[in-house]
Amino acid sequence: MKTKSKSHGAMPVRIGMAFVIPALILFSVFIVYPLTTALGYSFFSWKGTLRGDFIGLENYVTIFTKPPFDEALPNAFSHNLLLFAGAMVFQNSIGLLLAVTLHKIGRLKRLFQTMFTLPYLVSPLVVGYLWSLMLSPLFGPVNATLKAIGLEELALPWLGDPTTAIWAIVFITAWQWIGFPMLLYGAALGGIPEEVTEAAEIDGANGVKKFRLITLPLLLPALGTVTILTFIGAMEAFPIPYAVGGSTGSPAGATDVMALLFYRTAFESGDIGSIGTSSALAMLLFLFIFGVAVVLRTSLARAERKIYG
Amino acid sequence: MKRFSILNAPKHVLLWIYAIASLSPLVLMVLNSFRTTKQMATDPLGLPDGLNMGSYQKAWITASFETYFLNSMFVTITSVFIGTAVSLLAAYVFARSKRRVFAVLEGLFLSGLLLPVFLAILPIFYLFDALGLISNLWGLIMVYSALSIPFSSFILAAFFRQLPIDLEEAARIDGAGYFRTFFFILLPLVRPAIATVVVFRFVPIWNDFFYPLMLMRDRDAYTLPVGLTRFFGEYQTDWATLFAGLTITTIPLVILFIVASKQLVSGLTAGMSK
Amino acid sequence: MRKRLSALGLVGVAALVLTGCAPAAQETTETADTQTSATAEAVDPVTLTMWSWRTEDVEKYNTIFDVYEAANPGVTVEFEAFLNTEYNQLLATGLEGSDGPDLAMVRAYGGVQALIEAGQLMAIDGVVDTGSVEQSLLAAATGRTDGSLYGVPFATQTLQVFYNKEIFDELGLSEPTTWDEFTALNEAISAGGYTPLALGAKDSWMLPIFHEIVGAARYGGPEFRDGLLAGTTDFNDPDYVASIQIVNDMTKYMVDDVIGVSYADSQIQFTAGTAAQYPGGSFELGSFTDSGLDLGVYLVPTPPNSVSTKPISAGWADGSFAVNKTTENEDAALDLMNWLASPEFGQLFVDEVKQFSAIKGLTYSDPVMKEMDELFASGPTAYINLVDMRYGEPVGSTLIGEGIQSMFLGDMSATEVATKLQDGIATWFTPGA
Repeated sequence: MKTKSKSHGAMPVRIGMAFVIPALILFSVFIVYPLTTALGYSFFSWKGTLRGDFIGLENYVTIFTKPPFDEALPNAFSHNLLLFAGAMVFQNSIGLLLAVTLHKIGRLKRLFQTMFTLPYLVSPLVVGYLWSLMLSPLFGPVNATLKAIGLEELALPWLGDPTTAIWAIVFITAWQWIGFPMLLYGAALGGIPEEVTEAAEIDGANGVKKFRLITLPLLLPALGTVTILTFIGAMEAFPIPYAVGGSTGSPAGATDVMALLFYRTAFESGDIGSIGTSSALAMLLFLFIFGVAVVLRTSLARAERKIYG
Repeated sequence: MKRFSILNAPKHVLLWIYAIASLSPLVLMVLNSFRTTKQMATDPLGLPDGLNMGSYQKAWITASFETYFLNSMFVTITSVFIGTAVSLLAAYVFARSKRRVFAVLEGLFLSGLLLPVFLAILPIFYLFDALGLISNLWGLIMVYSALSIPFSSFILAAFFRQLPIDLEEAARIDGAGYFRTFFFILLPLVRPAIATVVVFRFVPIWNDFFYPLMLMRDRDAYTLPVGLTRFFGEYQTDWATLFAGLTITTIPLVILFIVASKQLVSGLTAGMSK
Repeated sequence: MRKRLSALGLVGVAALVLTGCAPAAQETTETADTQTSATAEAVDPVTLTMWSWRTEDVEKYNTIFDVYEAANPGVTVEFEAFLNTEYNQLLATGLEGSDGPDLAMVRAYGGVQALIEAGQLMAIDGVVDTGSVEQSLLAAATGRTDGSLYGVPFATQTLQVFYNKEIFDELGLSEPTTWDEFTALNEAISAGGYTPLALGAKDSWMLPIFHEIVGAARYGGPEFRDGLLAGTTDFNDPDYVASIQIVNDMTKYMVDDVIGVSYADSQIQFTAGTAAQYPGGSFELGSFTDSGLDLGVYLVPTPPNSVSTKPISAGWADGSFAVNKTTENEDAALDLMNWLASPEFGQLFVDEVKQFSAIKGLTYSDPVMKEMDELFASGPTAYINLVDMRYGEPVGSTLIGEGIQSMFLGDMSATEVATKLQDGIATWFTPGA
């Protein structure tokens, strides 16, 4: 028999359901219903908001084969994946670093936490404009500062060059969201009992070794949570790419992401059947994220079981 | 063990540098709220000369920001409350029960996170139209509460799982029912998680402009972000009033965050002294 | 596994069933009452709501409608404006729902077809007198498949080059009349320490506009358009390709890294006085005047080897007024529509909103506007990629905009840009339609 399981084998399903029902009702009406309805939309042809004939999977075929989708879809998709990789490397690792640094920093901890999280509070309506101004090659303080300190080669047209534009979005996203991993990891770090870390230190492990062997494994649930949420956020990224690159993902589609493709298909298309094609796009995205999230979740659960038993 | 040695100095320097970089767009926003649009057109990064409250007046009075502010408060606070409450209840069961049905439900709730925001707008619009909920703030509240469930239940379940089972088992032995155990024992222990969830739901709901724009057609039902959208013209934007409106919109969030981060700290220290 | 499949099937069935909750093809009940009363009889109080995306014009329209309300006692017009970028969706759902507006501004040309095909707009042939409207602009509100008229165009835009008179005076420059003069002018501005041309290349929609301004004469404006629509030529035509090449040649008169400059930035360049000229649309006039600039305008002279013998200004209708088919105030709404198609409204529009109206024969008190109107009249053409190339997906203006961006980055040649445009629209465009 394994060590203590952390569950009530004994909780009657009746009582459990009583706890879950309120959420379930809200969820069914406002999430399940729209999702299934939208799935239905993707199987029809449309004239504006007027539903036409049932056309089966034709909309799905369209988004894989017809221009502009045949190029735009893989292009946008690859950018989403890049956003995820970028977020994992920059946003989450720096968030972890900040959480660890602030953990023992004393009185100024809350001040720093507040300052680093404040960008999250800025309305998406103007994040794009503010950063376009900051990164403007003509008027922006970023390039002006770089030139002033002698790093003129780095004063690039960040948002105009296709290679740098997507990275600009990674950084702006990290700027806005760093509070999230920082706070989650911070809370998790706080949950590691002092005795464990002290015992490790007495045994001679400090600094990086302590972090790698003790802290990191105990942070695994938090790491898993942050990873999954970052993945979902990266796949569905919209406000920042929209604000920075516009609905076409300027320049030349270099900042195009799936949500932008959906948006302009649904709202700006010259094609009057766009409700069908955009719903198909959204379904595709949903299925992909779902699949990956399930895989992530099961591998995480497996890893957790190894550590916690 | 708070050593204020020299070794801490570079850490502090780097932290402050990042803090300045992090805050500069916000500072830009606030400074610009004290200038006029014409000034910004001729000198985009100049400093304001004096505290010109004209834009604030325009936003608050002419643009009815007072009404929108109250609407935003009502909608956001209620949505966060309902969303968090129902998610707490569900998360407890997800974390503690091993039954298959709850694992399935948890997965179902999680899949709600994957719902792209605009996908739902047409079906929800027709649903509201049929129920007469267009321009009714309660409709908005229901949508937001429901949309909070995936994220909140996910985070809260993770935190519930981290708690050791001993306390609950002790309480059960003492004869406490499931709800009492949940409410009096476990709830206080997950306070940092609750604070996190509240902050990370309050902010996006407060700042959301899309759903209220589509569902609240009556001007009296507008929330702050919708009010802000009225400063965006087709070709020209009323930047000065926009930035003033933005500052008004952001201040409550800052206050909330400062208060909530206090809870986070106290919750953490409480959690550690078992 | 079987459980999974049946669950999937269940979801699929549910999806199809639930889709029924969206409005399907409706049986339209024709309201037989098409009588319009031209006299201002005292009627029961009526409130007409009108929706728009022109948030910046709300007060101006209120002033304009005050005039109508005074002449039509009992009628109140409520003008509501919504965020431009979300307006299409707002309107489509609003017209569908029970709480929609009586009238609305609708997008022009391709942008209105979805509403027409969904049967949401009222056809106004024969019930609204559009005799005072510039007839060529009625295409902006015409149904592509049924040819009926569904709206009254309210605004037109023209393209030209704005310039800062102060800078010109300082450098002793005057409006160019030949291409050589145009080149010399730009060189002189550069030498004088200013940027000759302000352009926001980061926002791709400005690029086809710029292309029309510098290149329309090169490809031959109206004659080319006629050929394109008839099918005797297409965008791969060497003259059209050459017009795109001119766009590329012009980058030497813009800032370095123009691809990183946003539309808002380019406006600031002009209003802050660092750039001497701004190739743009008449929609810029309002903000440029507000910033206190002393403005001049001219049309770019004909480039070498031009098909056209005179400079050309491209224009288009920027939107129309339309009536919601399900309005309960049909008579009042049509009365208003007739007024909106009248010179009285047109003049008020010009004076208050300070944009060009679709109505003929109006007078302009603003000298710059007057000059722009005269310039347009001297060499008009349609902005092809907006007027004709938005009836399907992909849309012409997006294709050429993205193409020009690639060209600026050195990834595409002018020929390739033209091919991109032609191939894209060929998927839905049939000449002679």
